[in-house]
Amino acid sequence: MKSKILTVDDSKTIRLIVAKAFKQFDVDIFEAANGIEGLAVAAREKPDIIILDITMPVMDGAECIAKLKSSSNLKAIPVIMLTAESGRENVLKIAKMGIKDYLVKPFKEELLVERVGRIIELKAKGEDSKKLKRYDDVLNILVVDDKPAIIDQIKSALADTNWVVHGRTQTGEAVDYCSQNLPDVIIVSLTLPDAAGFVLFQMFRASAKTKITPIFGMSVKTANDEQARAVSLGFTGIVTKPLDPEELKMKICRSLNLDTSYKYFQHRQGILTLILPQVLTPVIVNEINLHLRPKVADAVDSGLIKMVVDMSQTRVADVNLVRLGISAIQLCSELGLKHRLVGTVSVQEECSNYEETNEWQFVETFDEAVLALNGSYV
Amino acid sequence: MLNLDVVPFAPGTVNRALKDREQQVAAAVGFSGAVTGVAYIYCSSSFAVQCSAVLLGSTIRDTSADEIVNDMMGEIANMVVGKLKSGLCDRGLICVLGTPSVVRGTFSIESLSLSERRVMNFTCDGNSLTVEIMLKLTDSKLTAKNR
Repeated sequence: MKSKILTVDDSKTIRLIVAKAFKQFDVDIFEAANGIEGLAVAAREKPDIIILDITMPVMDGAECIAKLKSSSNLKAIPVIMLTAESGRENVLKIAKMGIKDYLVKPFKEELLVERVGRIIELKAKGEDSKKLKRYDDVLNILVVDDKPAIIDQIKSALADTNWVVHGRTQTGEAVDYCSQNLPDVIIVSLTLPDAAGFVLFQMFRASAKTKITPIFGMSVKTANDEQARAVSLGFTGIVTKPLDPEELKMKICRSLNLDTSYKYFQHRQGILTLILPQVLTPVIVNEINLHLRPKVADAVDSGLIKMVVDMSQTRVADVNLVRLGISAIQLCSELGLKHRLVGTVSVQEECSNYEETNEWQFVETFDEAVLALNGSYV
Repeated sequence: MLNLDVVPFAPGTVNRALKDREQQVAAAVGFSGAVTGVAYIYCSSSFAVQCSAVLLGSTIRDTSADEIVNDMMGEIANMVVGKLKSGLCDRGLICVLGTPSVVRGTFSIESLSLSERRVMNFTCDGNSLTVEIMLKLTDSKLTAKNR
């Protein structure tokens, strides 16, 4: 559900600035030009927060907040006051009104967003649809490391994706980047001088913009203390050096709940096809296993009754491949799908070394599998 | 908010827009109490449109409507005078602010003989901006110390 923000200010300029400040967030903005209008909109819309000016005609902010606080329906709505007056007395007067916070004009939009973000949950626009992002979508990855060589390594590791790595060697540069952009994922070195990586993490988490952005800490495998500290602070995960490109991609995919299934699952000629890659690392096996049951169930749900497990690209038939094959075949049996396995002669021979594969029915090409499943292959 | 650098002119320098008789936009905010007065902020209307565009993050074309520019000038005057009022109040000179008003045209501002007048000229992105404050002492509170 969208958060509701009510801005009460006689200045249209300020109301427009407030609306602009929250443009990239999934919020509904309501406006009122004075206290009386503000109370009416508040009663009608029940906003999650009110940004209230003090000096206004008809009914000023002080009177408006007094009325809000005396209403049983509205008194719980948090209020942030905007004031052009920063004098001691004015600040003291405002503080006594029972407000959550106040800002002195002129204010920076980012500051307003940050203060509001401390009180209500601000979701970036499109955040909900992030779950539907695919592996081949363009992602922006911010990497903060004082060693440019590491940034280059990450760029190389992700070079076969559409992901763009934005390297920053200083924390200040990273903060500047985030004030202008919203990265999909942030990777921060845990070995920055003066524990700056941890400070930066806390700054990102305090900012409404990056509050829920996945943030990974990066350190060498043996730096257990650093990693434990990062985990206890709430980092999304740890990326260890030396980098394993597949593992890094997998961690990013999981943190964003990216759909990677299309890499392995296709519908070909009305048949659900699981295409296994050349090399099956444990990471890839895990990834396929994650998608296997939902993909097969979806296929059955959409009327498909045949499945091909295509191992023709796979170079080595090891225990990973066999386990995956067993899982796929079991699932086909459970859900009543006809199936065939496609594999080269060498893969078939290697598989035959495992007792569990005795009943596997191999063919050498996808076309042969189609014929077999259609009942016209001998 | 505006992210524009403002550089003060040497004392006594005249607002170039005034000198060139350009169309001006002036926002005024009055204050009354222990100190009574009015503060004006004015600049050329073209610069005011430019400021509105910066402030609202939109194009000059979108923000050139007089209503928006007037409102923006009034709000800037309100912020500047709010700061002045806070300074006065912190020195024990309690006063309250009025709501901003805006005038357009080619004009000059003159003070009454009883009031104290300060004119500050600034240059900003090649444009002139003037802040003019007129104060009138309303009681004995304004001592040399408060000045």
